[in-house]
Formats: sequence, C-alpha cells, structure tokens
Amino acid sequence: MSEAAPMLEIKNLAIQFGGLKAVDNLNLTIKKNQLYGLIGPNGAGKTTVFNMLTGVYKPTAGTIYLDGENITGKSPAQINKHGIARTFQNIRLFKDMSVLDNVKVGLHNQKKYTAIEGVLRLPRYFREEKEMDEKALELLRVFELDSEKDTLSSNLPYGKQRKLEIARALATNPKLLLLDEPAAGMNPNETAELMDNIRFIIEKFDMTVLLIEHDMKLVSGICEEVTVLNFGQELAQGITTNVLNDPKVITAYLGE
Amino acid sequence: MKKTTLNNIITCGMVLVLFIVCGFLSSAGVLGSKLSGLLIPIGIYIILSISLNLTVGILGELSLGHAGFMCVGAYVGGVFSILVQDVVTVSWLRITLAIIVGGIAAAIFGILIGIPVLRLRGDYLAIVTLGFGEIIKSISNNIYLVKDVNGLHFSFASPVSGTDAATAVDIFKGAQGIKAPQDTTLLIVVIVLMISLIVIMNLVDSKTGRACMAIRDNYIAAQSVGINVTKYRLVAFVVSAAIAGVAGVLYSHSLAVLAPKKFDYNLSILILVFVVLGGLGSMRGSIIATIVLYALPEIFREVGDYRMLIYAIVLIAMMIFKNAPYFKDLFEKFKALPVFDKFRSKNKVKAVGGESK
Repeated sequence: MSEAAPMLEIKNLAIQFGGLKAVDNLNLTIKKNQLYGLIGPNGAGKTTVFNMLTGVYKPTAGTIYLDGENITGKSPAQINKHGIARTFQNIRLFKDMSVLDNVKVGLHNQKKYTAIEGVLRLPRYFREEKEMDEKALELLRVFELDSEKDTLSSNLPYGKQRKLEIARALATNPKLLLLDEPAAGMNPNETAELMDNIRFIIEKFDMTVLLIEHDMKLVSGICEEVTVLNFGQELAQGITTNVLNDPKVITAYLGE
Repeated sequence: MKKTTLNNIITCGMVLVLFIVCGFLSSAGVLGSKLSGLLIPIGIYIILSISLNLTVGILGELSLGHAGFMCVGAYVGGVFSILVQDVVTVSWLRITLAIIVGGIAAAIFGILIGIPVLRLRGDYLAIVTLGFGEIIKSISNNIYLVKDVNGLHFSFASPVSGTDAATAVDIFKGAQGIKAPQDTTLLIVVIVLMISLIVIMNLVDSKTGRACMAIRDNYIAAQSVGINVTKYRLVAFVVSAAIAGVAGVLYSHSLAVLAPKKFDYNLSILILVFVVLGGLGSMRGSIIATIVLYALPEIFREVGDYRMLIYAIVLIAMMIFKNAPYFKDLFEKFKALPVFDKFRSKNKVKAVGGESK
C-alpha cells in the first residue's frame, strides 16, 4: 500500500429528524493513526455525527466505512465489535460499580467464558478473570487510576471520571476511538495532561482518534486535521492551522 | 482473596449456621412448634427474595409478577409429584425431580414472558409483569385435571365431566388448587437455598453479572462497549424466574392444600418489600430483611390486630435507619473498631451501599 488505507470513511452522511436536517451531506476521511478533530459551534451536529457513527441513530442517507467495511445502520453493540469505541459528552459511567469493574465491563467481549462456567467456577473463569484484572489494571495505570481501582466510579472527581471513560472505551480494543469533548470541565493542567494521554494512546495502542472539542488550544495543539461543522453542514476541512484561520470559521464561531 | 468472594462466603456461612442452629434447636424441642414451623417458609421466602433481587437489584428492572413464576413452579412441580406418586415412592427423589421439572417450567415461562416484556423498560415493564403475574394466577384458577382408569382428563373453566367415578382422582381442582405430597423438609429447603444463593452470587460476580449491572447503570454506555443488552437482560430474567419456580415447588410440597389465590399481587409485593428493604443488589440484605419481616408478624400473632401496626412501624423504622446519616456513621465507626482489623484487606476500600447491614 502506498498511502495508508483510510480507517474511517464517511460518504454523503445525512440524518433528518422530521423536517430538520441535523447533518447533511458530510464527507470525511480519517487515515490510520491520525488524530482528527470535529469542531463547530453549539448545535452544529457534532454529537449527532458521533451517534450515527456508533449506531445510536440510523443515518437517513450515506454510508460509513470502517477499515473498508460498511458499518452503516448496525446496532451500537455490533459497531463496537467492529472496532469503534466512544466516550460521551455527558459522562456515562457505570456509577454503582467500582473503577476496576467499569474497565472490566469494557473487556467483556474479549473473554469467552460462559455464564455457566462463571456459575460453576470452572478453571477458565479464574484464568480469564485474572487476565481481565491484569489488563484492566494496565489500562488504569495509563491514566493513573490504578490506586483507586476499588472506588465507586461515581465518587471519582470529574476529570478522573472522563479519563476512566476513555480507559473503558480502550478496553474494548477498538481501531477507532471517538472522544466527545474529553476536556470539558477540566482545568488547564488537566487538559495538558489529557493531551499527553491522547498522544500516548495513539502511539501505544496504535489508535486512530476522532475528537469533538470546544477547547481550541487542545484542538490546535494535537489535531492534525479538522472538519468544521455549522448547522449540520461542512464549513471547512483541512490542516488545523489553516482551517482555524479561515475567515468563514471565525465568523461561524464569533459572529459577524 | 477478593473482597466480593469473602463477602459471599460470609453470607453463605451466615445462612448455613443460622439454619443449622435453628434446625438443631427445633429438633431438640427448644424452639417450640410455632417457631419451628416458620423455618421452612422463611427458607422458601429467602430463595424468592434473592431471586427477585437478581431482577430488581442487579438488572435494575422492577418486576411485579414474581409470584407468577413461583405459581408456575408450584403447580407444575406439584402436579408432577402427584402423577408420579405411585411410581417414585422415595420422597427426596420425588421432590428433587419435581424441583427440576418445576424449575425448567418456570424458566420456559420466563423466556416466553421475557421476550415481549423485556422490550420495555422501567415503569412499563413493571406494569406488564404485573399483568402477566395476574394472568398466570387466573389461568391456574381455572384448570381442572382429573386422573382415572382411562387416563388424564383436562378441562378449562368448568369441572371435568364424564370421568369414571369409581377411580377418578382430582389432581387440580380449579380454585381449590392441588394437594401435593408433603415432601418438603427443612434439609431440602436449606440445600436448595444454599445452591440458589451460590448460583446467584457466582452469576453476579462474573462477566454476566457485570454486564447486567452495566445495563442497569447505563443502558447506552453498556451498548457502546459492545454488550448485547437483550441477551443479558433475558439471561438474568430467566434465571430469576427459574429460581422462583424452584421456590414454588418447595412451597407447594410444604402445604397440605395450595390454592391459586395465594399467588396474587400481594405476594409479589411482599417479596419486593423484602428486596427493597434489604437493599437493592445486596443478597445479604435480602436474607436479613426476609427473616425479620417474615418472622415478625408470626411472632406477634398473639397481639392480634396490632401485629400489622408493629409490622408497619418496623418497615418505616428500617427505611429511616438504613439511610440515616447518623446510623451510617455509627456503623462505619463500628466497622472501624480494632476488633475487625483482621477482616480488613490492606488496600483502602470504600463502603458500598446496601452491604451495610
């Protein structure tokens, strides 16, 4: 292969809620190991794009290819098995479960022991549970959460909850990671730390990342390319610095 | 050892010791016939409340039709025992077979009802399970089954006619129910209780249980990490139904006559009260709440009408004390006493709500 094959390819993606075209004719290509940003003013349809990519919404038109495979219209669980994992804008942790268990839920599909083996406590249960514990701790260590593995996830401070969500998403062993406003509610120090974490993930886990963000410092700091959405339409696309200086983009964000 | 494993062993040990001590006391005649008579029903109700806790506490869906699954188990197991009474004369073998048959029947009903019902969530699911529970009760109320020399005769809604009067034996007599052989002994109840408890606890502390709790805590996030939501909801629902069916079998074999009206809405609510007061998701809590709340009205039977007043006061008191910050602090202080040091693992462990009983 001369050029890296696209990890994610979106063609003419559109969704309509009644008379409202929330996203219209979106085209996007993300290469492997790329860090791609999706930005835009509030209500531009960024999260709707994520929801279509992960199967929460069924697109009205268009197709989504992940690593060459058409995944349009599949269920969220199936899409995760194909290799897309995500975090949420409003944190969705398993709040009554421990930090460790949250990550172990993410490892669910990688271990094959059945419910009966679990009930009868057959050797495979113990072996795979041990592997799960180790793998989960390894992931928690990346985000420095390993010392709090037994804490209830809802008792974690906000920034750590966001990190735990990323750890849980990574546990599903995805090819593409979607981060929905990972830095929301974080202070500048935490944001800087998060940027390092994201870079580290891409290297260590051979990951491709698509992120939605409002924090322009974070976007210009780590995203190689961005797409700007406005009212569901693509406004600009390309190398981050060029796009952010585009007068059209500045107008969309700041008004005329 | 993992903290949950240790906790589970403590819970099992607690139940086992309690029943062994009470069993010995009652066989030695110390306990009195009234209290001894409570042991079997308490055991059966504990099985019911831990099985309902799997649906309500772990899966997070309010089921108001638990008595329906118990009803299926009770009658299928009961009718089976009556039919094989002449063939299988050993009572422990007969009830073992009846438990298997009744459990499977309740599981099948769990699947049949679960598939349509689990498309719903929350209040809607609760109302539909309530409906199915009532349907099962009403259908049982209209079943007539008679055995004579010519075989089995079945009739719905009206007594069977045209049987051979000389050899006819009523098996199921509509609203009067069945008269199953009284095969349930305390030993069998305790064995079944321990097996159910271990099955449920092991299931909860496995991949399956975590998947169910993930679905309970956040439906969308559970899907997003690749969990087949429908599958795990059905698994938990069916296991819960099957164990309720097993409890039903024990129940029908512990009573001289069992009429369908016993399995009404109130029974489902009674079990739900045990589960909710014991703490959702906490098996130990369910067990303790069942023992206290079942024994109480029976013990206070002498005070007549006041016993329901006492029951209500205890319910309210349990609700208040379980969640009052003062009592939580007190309990934490109690747990922090040096006496318990050797039970504590070295790493810092936050107290999990519901286990604090």
